[in-house]
Amino acid sequence: MAMTISREQVLEQVRTVMVDALGVDDNEVKPEATLMGDLGAESIDFLDIVFRLEKTFGIKIPREELFPAETLMNNPEFVSNGKLTEKGLNELKAKMPHTDISEFAKNPDIGKLPDLFTVGMIVNFVESRLKAA
Amino acid sequence: MKEQKMLENLRLMTTIAAIMRFILIDKVVEIETGRRIKAVKGVTLAEEYLADHFPTFPVLPGVLLLEGLIESASWLVRTTENFAHSMILLEEARNVKYKSFLAPGAQIEYTVEAKTIEENVSSFSGTGVSNGEQIVEARFGLRHFNLADKDSTMAAVDAKIIGEMKKRWELLKK
Repeated sequence: MAMTISREQVLEQVRTVMVDALGVDDNEVKPEATLMGDLGAESIDFLDIVFRLEKTFGIKIPREELFPAETLMNNPEFVSNGKLTEKGLNELKAKMPHTDISEFAKNPDIGKLPDLFTVGMIVNFVESRLKAA
Repeated sequence: MKEQKMLENLRLMTTIAAIMRFILIDKVVEIETGRRIKAVKGVTLAEEYLADHFPTFPVLPGVLLLEGLIESASWLVRTTENFAHSMILLEEARNVKYKSFLAPGAQIEYTVEAKTIEENVSSFSGTGVSNGEQIVEARFGLRHFNLADKDSTMAAVDAKIIGEMKKRWELLKK
């Protein structure tokens, strides 16, 4: 089922998801907005966001595919001294092919991981899923 | 009918017990009646919820950071209205932002400024800072009431809760 939906349309629908899931205003949901720092999403919200994205776009998002943080945070091979290990970085790269993590990789401080989760990243992810469908 | 009432009360009691069990601030360090309050919380590895959040990287869950702001504001309300109401609940939270993680060993200082404190509603803006770093910020509104407002048979429960809160205040205030 090929879907010819523009990036602008995807952004519009992702915006609605964020407004519904996080209770933020439309105009706060900019592409560069980070989910945690700008929009106030926290652990519980990520599940809600995934569920709403699945419903909105008719796609399936296996757990941990969109927000791999939990797998990373639960495995001592991936995190050491508050930073991602080599293994951890590889895992992150594999789990988030739709995001450029090269800047983050220079100093993979786990406290900075949330900065990767922007609205734009979600749009990238949805677009790539729709193309593959 | 009587059974329904008993079930309702049971649910209410469980909620109240849960609320009273939460203590997400350790000490109130500054207070300006009606206007502003500052409180601190130290994070310890012994906090049970940290075991799962997350095993390799324990950090205070976002909702509990927000809870710290809400509790701080609640004490400002209680001292300002002289413990008039037993129930002080979150009505609304806006523009909540989680800027940085807070880990065991750190101490967070919450600063909450009241925008308005009226008889049954109040609104605030608050921030949490640790070691010079912004951790959390939010704007939120509370509502305050007594159970007896709706059901006069609950006046004794109100009195009990208020009594407990007064005792807790003795521990929290500086």
